[in-house]
Amino acid sequence: MKKSILRSTLTATGVLFLAGCATPTTYVDPSGSRLVANVNQINIQDFANAADTMVNSLIDNLINQGKLQSGVPSEPALLAVSRITNNTSRQFDTDLLVKKIRVALLRTGRVQTTTTMNLGGPEDPLAADQQKAKEFFEDKKHTRLPDYTLSGKIIQDRTHAGDINQSAFVFQLSLSSNAGIAVWEEEKTIVKQGSAAAIGF
Amino acid sequence: MTTKLFAGIAAGTIILLQSGCSTVNTLEPAQPVAQRQMLNDKRVITDTGLYGRVRILGVNIATGPAGFMKIQVEVQNLTSGPKSFTYRIEWFDEYGMIINLPTMTAIPRSLEGKETASITAMAPTDRAKDFRIKFLDQISN
Repeated sequence: MKKSILRSTLTATGVLFLAGCATPTTYVDPSGSRLVANVNQINIQDFANAADTMVNSLIDNLINQGKLQSGVPSEPALLAVSRITNNTSRQFDTDLLVKKIRVALLRTGRVQTTTTMNLGGPEDPLAADQQKAKEFFEDKKHTRLPDYTLSGKIIQDRTHAGDINQSAFVFQLSLSSNAGIAVWEEEKTIVKQGSAAAIGF
Repeated sequence: MTTKLFAGIAAGTIILLQSGCSTVNTLEPAQPVAQRQMLNDKRVITDTGLYGRVRILGVNIATGPAGFMKIQVEVQNLTSGPKSFTYRIEWFDEYGMIINLPTMTAIPRSLEGKETASITAMAPTDRAKDFRIKFLDQISN
């Protein structure tokens, strides 16, 4: 009887102890410095950092210099997203990078992105169907060819010294004109070192 | 024996100090050609520890032909060892309203001992007229 009481008390204490030690779930600012950082993978702050560098470079070297050309005067230049290759050891959606760039470029007021002309079919099939229906009923072509296409690659390089692991993630992007000339190119390298995941950077 | 031990400890300390506290030497033109448009800034310092280690030397601005503002913040690590911190830039329109974008994030930066570096940023739109830069010491849990 005494043994049974002792066992129950110990179990209850253990459960309480474990519950007390568990880290409660909290919300953190996605643009802040208190996010989890891993050495061997690209974290959300890395995608945002890379996208920020790319957008800064695009604005600085192309948009702000007045070099961005639109096929239709008085309208923003039209961009189509081409192939963005993930050559890292992890699987992720490249839209984590590309969508941020698209949003930022749209907000500049100088660039718009097509959702009907993409590799492997339209991004928005309904918009593509609508465009076709409009062309059929009005008997007039509405398809505007993109002025620029965006392509790129994300590469990982890993190395270590003792217990310290290092991962370098290289983001490479090119903007090609409809003449097939790369009018803008940028590369951003993010290097991370450590032996375990940590909160904050 | 004691003298040898002291000499060994002293040599070891010097090597450790030299490896841990390497500082940066710089060279630049005595009379710079570029004309910088420096900005009168307002600073709110809540982390005196960070401000004592990483000092903001100045901010200069320029506006390109398409009307996008570009800023450059010159920072210096006042310590003799490497220093890491993060910074975040916020942009405001002509009405003082913040311009939010998914690309806006805390950006990590590290400086070697006594190193001076420039942080540059482009306004996300030509409507951006003001900015605010936040500096935060490295967080590590």
